[in-house]
Amino acid sequence: MAEGGDVEWELSKENIQPLRRGRAISALQEALSQQQDGVISAINQQRQAFESELRMYDGDDPLDVWDRYIKWTEQTFPQGGKESNLNTLLERVVTKFTEEKKYHNDPRYVELWIKFAESCPEPLDLFRYMQAQGIGLTQASFYIAWSEEHENQGNSRKADLVYQEGFKKCAQPHDKLQQFHKALQARVSRQVMMNVEEDDSDDEPKQPERVSLADLKHRGKKKAIAPVNRTGPAIRNISRGLQSHGAPVLRNASNSQLVIFDENKSQNAGPSEPKLESWMAPPTSRAKENEQGPERWCDVKMPQKSKFGHTVMPPPPPKPTFQPFVEESDQPPTMTPCKINPAVNTVLSSRKPRKEETPLKRLQEHHQQQKEAESGKPQEQSMYCKELLLSGATEFCFEELRAERYFKKMAQESQEVKSHPASASASN
Amino acid sequence: MSLFGTTTGFGTGGTGVFGNAATDSHNPMKDVEVTSPPDDSISCLAFSPPTMPGNFLIGGSWANDVRCWEVQDNGQTVPKAQQMHTGPVLDACWSDDGSKVFTASCDKTAKMWDLNSNQAMQIAQHDGPIKAIHWIKAPNYSCIMTGSWDKTLKFWDTRSPNPMMSLQMPERCYCADVVYPMAVVATAERGLIVYQLENQPSEFRRIDSPLKHQHRCVAIFKDKQNKPTGFALGSIEGRVAIHYINPPNPAKDNFTFKCHRSNGTNTTTPQDIYAVNAISFHPVHGTLATVGSDGRFSFWDKDARTKLKTSEQLDQPITACCFQPQRQHLCICFQLRLVEGPRVLQPPEKELHLLEERCRGAEASEQEMIRRAKSHLLWGNAEDLLH
Repeated sequence: MAEGGDVEWELSKENIQPLRRGRAISALQEALSQQQDGVISAINQQRQAFESELRMYDGDDPLDVWDRYIKWTEQTFPQGGKESNLNTLLERVVTKFTEEKKYHNDPRYVELWIKFAESCPEPLDLFRYMQAQGIGLTQASFYIAWSEEHENQGNSRKADLVYQEGFKKCAQPHDKLQQFHKALQARVSRQVMMNVEEDDSDDEPKQPERVSLADLKHRGKKKAIAPVNRTGPAIRNISRGLQSHGAPVLRNASNSQLVIFDENKSQNAGPSEPKLESWMAPPTSRAKENEQGPERWCDVKMPQKSKFGHTVMPPPPPKPTFQPFVEESDQPPTMTPCKINPAVNTVLSSRKPRKEETPLKRLQEHHQQQKEAESGKPQEQSMYCKELLLSGATEFCFEELRAERYFKKMAQESQEVKSHPASASASN
Repeated sequence: MSLFGTTTGFGTGGTGVFGNAATDSHNPMKDVEVTSPPDDSISCLAFSPPTMPGNFLIGGSWANDVRCWEVQDNGQTVPKAQQMHTGPVLDACWSDDGSKVFTASCDKTAKMWDLNSNQAMQIAQHDGPIKAIHWIKAPNYSCIMTGSWDKTLKFWDTRSPNPMMSLQMPERCYCADVVYPMAVVATAERGLIVYQLENQPSEFRRIDSPLKHQHRCVAIFKDKQNKPTGFALGSIEGRVAIHYINPPNPAKDNFTFKCHRSNGTNTTTPQDIYAVNAISFHPVHGTLATVGSDGRFSFWDKDARTKLKTSEQLDQPITACCFQPQRQHLCICFQLRLVEGPRVLQPPEKELHLLEERCRGAEASEQEMIRRAKSHLLWGNAEDLLH
């Protein structure tokens, strides 16, 4: 249905990040068409207006400005992405108001936290942090988001526990919490029923299947190995063992039949204990294999591999008559033929490995720094309005700040002139 | 107040240029206040180029005006003319023949002010306030370069309403400097771009910032053959970086140093860090002056990597400085302005001071300079000098 107005949306459907609340279609159209035409100045101006509002605001509710700014950013940059600075903004706003007790249960603030958590690699950690800090404890949306995350990770037991916690804390709005909880229960029971059905339909339970977690090893002298892929019933069989425990567990909350690795076994009481001390040490990232920091390449040697890259069963092959392929000949980057002027050595300069930085970790560091700043003595003190310059997604310079004040003053004066034309005096 | 002609005040004595003459505490160095300063703080200053007879000074201010003074030989200033914008003036510069002044303002326009006829004409338009304006004189073209907060760098032939060229920058322009054939622009988010201006302006290189904080000011310096070879970059946290464009040994040749900080080695009280508001290079000797929000100005020798002198602390932050490119006597002007600080809220005081400073190299012999530099090295704070 590619009518004139719908074209952009149809063409870039898959690039649009879904929002919980949905998107205003008009804003979406405008945002997409603007991006195609490359008309970015209007966006820039609007963003600048928000940034200055952030700094000039002197009312009671600074969160409101942040909230509007973030909502505008979401609508204007449907794809999310770096340009929108959305993650930076979210991180700033949650960090900024962590200490403000009055916002802890403000639904807007909790929404922002939830959005932030969703953009983090480890949302569960963030939800636990929120609980420890007392943020969102009486908001239904908090518990709903948290349990959804558990559900996404396949842990329906914990998802249910979270709802229990929410009921205990009388989270508002109560009906919403109940409604979502019922939906969760329905989903889980449906899944159990499906599994049970599959169980029944499978007449030959276990005979030809191998339930083995190890790779098949070949025997004999054949050196070629075909990849082994378990498909179909074999997989279901393995995973079914886990899921079939799900149903009885749900009914009996304290069931601990799950032998499979469950890190939270000791916390059977549920996530209701605010463990403040556990958050002094940042949670270790689980995705260790993907987070290798940048390292020098020059000196790294690849481990020596044999010809075919497999460990070969006996008899060991005779010593190869040629040199096995070994990456000894690591040449330093400057020797590879490149057209870069050797004087320009900003290319390929080695960087020190940075510590892993997750948003949660930064939050905790910030928290600690704040505590330190209050108690201890800071080493250096910047003699300028750092908060004003650096709050917001992008920085301001002194002149920009001053220019904003000037424009505000001009706007006020012109307002006054409009309302009191008779008494307009030449003031500058 | 007689500045000139007193031989005791200036000389090659070891105690320093600023003698301890009995002036009032408000005016610890022998300087001259410029008459009829603008009503609000001054954002930029520029001296007329040496090709022009006479000495003129222009200053743009936050009161939307640009004023021109004639600086006479005795240091007195005479206000000559003024032009207005519809927004605060952020930058100003002279054309190379000294007949025109270009001013850039928050009202998103830049104007050309013909001093002979005292007429001002708009020559440029941006989508955001224009922060930097420079005149470029190349063998085959001449134009105005304007850098703005709308993230563009535009080049204007003053006769046409459309820019000759418009270059996109990654972020808003915070400061710029031009010494043909090189131009440097420092942007927000610690961006740094070098442009080459031969034939036509084009981006030459983007450099990773040597500083960790927001860029505030930049000034290009030249080598002994009078070719631009690098720049000095100042940040809002008391540090200046000296960066060469094509050094033989970058790790050694490029360096940063701390400046405009209080309580050097006193570790019990925290060190106060001030912004470096402007950097200016001496046209002949290659020493640089930095002025900061702490109310001091300092002279440095970047080749010897030493601090030559720091002034007394003046009452208020200093926002700009400019070497006068003429005569044996070198004047530096300062403007005093209130900077937005977290604690100071006073009515703004704006004064222009002309200071007389005889730069070391001109008077002293080579050895004298080295001796003096070494003595500074000894008693100065080690951490103030090298990074």
